[in-house]
Amino acid sequence: MRTEFLRAVDGLRLPEEYRALLRPGETETDSLGNVHHLPRFFYEISSWKEAQDIQLAPHFTLAELMLVDCREARLLLSQFPHYVPCAIVLLARFLEDFRREVDAPLFISANGGYRSPAHQIGGAKSIHAWGTAANVYRIGDTFLSDARSIEKYRTIAASLSPAVFARQFGREQGQTDDHLHIDLGFVSLTPRECSEAG
Amino acid sequence: MLSVDLSNGLHEELESLALRNKARAIGVALHDLETGFRFSLRGDRWFHAASTIKVAVLLAVFRAVDEGRLRLGDSLHVRNRFFSAAGGTVFHVSADRDATPELYQSIGRTAKISSLAHTMISGSSNLATNLLLDFVGVDYARTVLRLAQVCGVELRRGVEDHAAHETGINNEATANGLLALLSAIRGDFLTNESKREVIGILLEQRFNSMIPAGLPPHATVAHKTGEISTACHDIGIVYLPEREPYIAVVLTEFDPDTEGRRETVAAISETIYRSLLGEKPKSNED
Repeated sequence: MRTEFLRAVDGLRLPEEYRALLRPGETETDSLGNVHHLPRFFYEISSWKEAQDIQLAPHFTLAELMLVDCREARLLLSQFPHYVPCAIVLLARFLEDFRREVDAPLFISANGGYRSPAHQIGGAKSIHAWGTAANVYRIGDTFLSDARSIEKYRTIAASLSPAVFARQFGREQGQTDDHLHIDLGFVSLTPRECSEAG
Repeated sequence: MLSVDLSNGLHEELESLALRNKARAIGVALHDLETGFRFSLRGDRWFHAASTIKVAVLLAVFRAVDEGRLRLGDSLHVRNRFFSAAGGTVFHVSADRDATPELYQSIGRTAKISSLAHTMISGSSNLATNLLLDFVGVDYARTVLRLAQVCGVELRRGVEDHAAHETGINNEATANGLLALLSAIRGDFLTNESKREVIGILLEQRFNSMIPAGLPPHATVAHKTGEISTACHDIGIVYLPEREPYIAVVLTEFDPDTEGRRETVAAISETIYRSLLGEKPKSNED
């Protein structure tokens, strides 16, 4: 695992234009009415090359978990530094376990890893804003676009830990029909060198 | 020839051509930028727009670029999942029915907006069309048409939205409306850079068996075809090196499974050419 490039920063100390988009530590109410604190601590990424070089787990680079499209806020899309919640390392670790269990490469979709609270899809209400969720659209050669494949891998993912949630197949609210959504809940990570005071 | 004679002659020829080829209806609109001659035959009759609606989406995309809402180099998530204009149910487009199945290999990844715009027009990709329309929004695209003063083009939904089709929500256009759309592209509605880019995309059209097939080989056409079970259309700007271009819109409607639909559009194109230039298109062998 190559993580020597990782530099943790306190989001509360970022310039105002970043704080307005990342909303570090602010509360947000999810679709069920539960209140959560958005991530406060982030890894600062200085270039796309650096994101590609950061191997969070043997088969997952940071770049794979932060690929977004132009629905992301312009400041967080086209220029560096980028900021990614520290809990993303836990997601990578889980994905590695999942990959081992299914014995095939996992493909994370664009917009399927970390998305900032300013992203047009889901915004701060989405668990993707915590960096603890992944949308897998393909496992090995299998596109996850039908009930059979999604339910099969959903069962495997959920069996790995009680902390794991995987959405059911379907076309109703909270279901998916063209990928497998898995997440670890609203987890925030405070690096040991960081203080939560202030 | 006086324009009234030209108009009458063209009218008569096109009507008889439609009858001979068993077309249920034809709509033709024409603007010759060399002479200023304008012509329309049932120019206000509404047709199912089929894939000609993609030109309206193209205009909206480039207007959004000009307004700074998006950049051609931006990436968009390629995802085959859309919401119906009728009730918001989820629908998917079919790779089997798409003229550009290659784009489906990019599902899950991203594609540049410029690349999607090219694929939507030159390869008539339904997936690219819905991705772009989903991104800019139907309401925005309709606003753009209104701002461009294009009446006669009703963009109501993405393509292959069968639930919407079942409830009568369709994209429709008149020949005059599509002529106004092409005129807006050629006029001052877009920046010069966007205009050049849009016309360049239309010039890359891969389906050339209709308007271009009725023209001499040295003609180039910036155009878009559209075909569904009952409709067979082609709309475009015809460039000839010896003169200013002309804009031609040919919309046809047939009973399903009628043969020779594209040939009919090509024959209409040839008739228009002959009427405007007073000569038959010369082939390479002449």
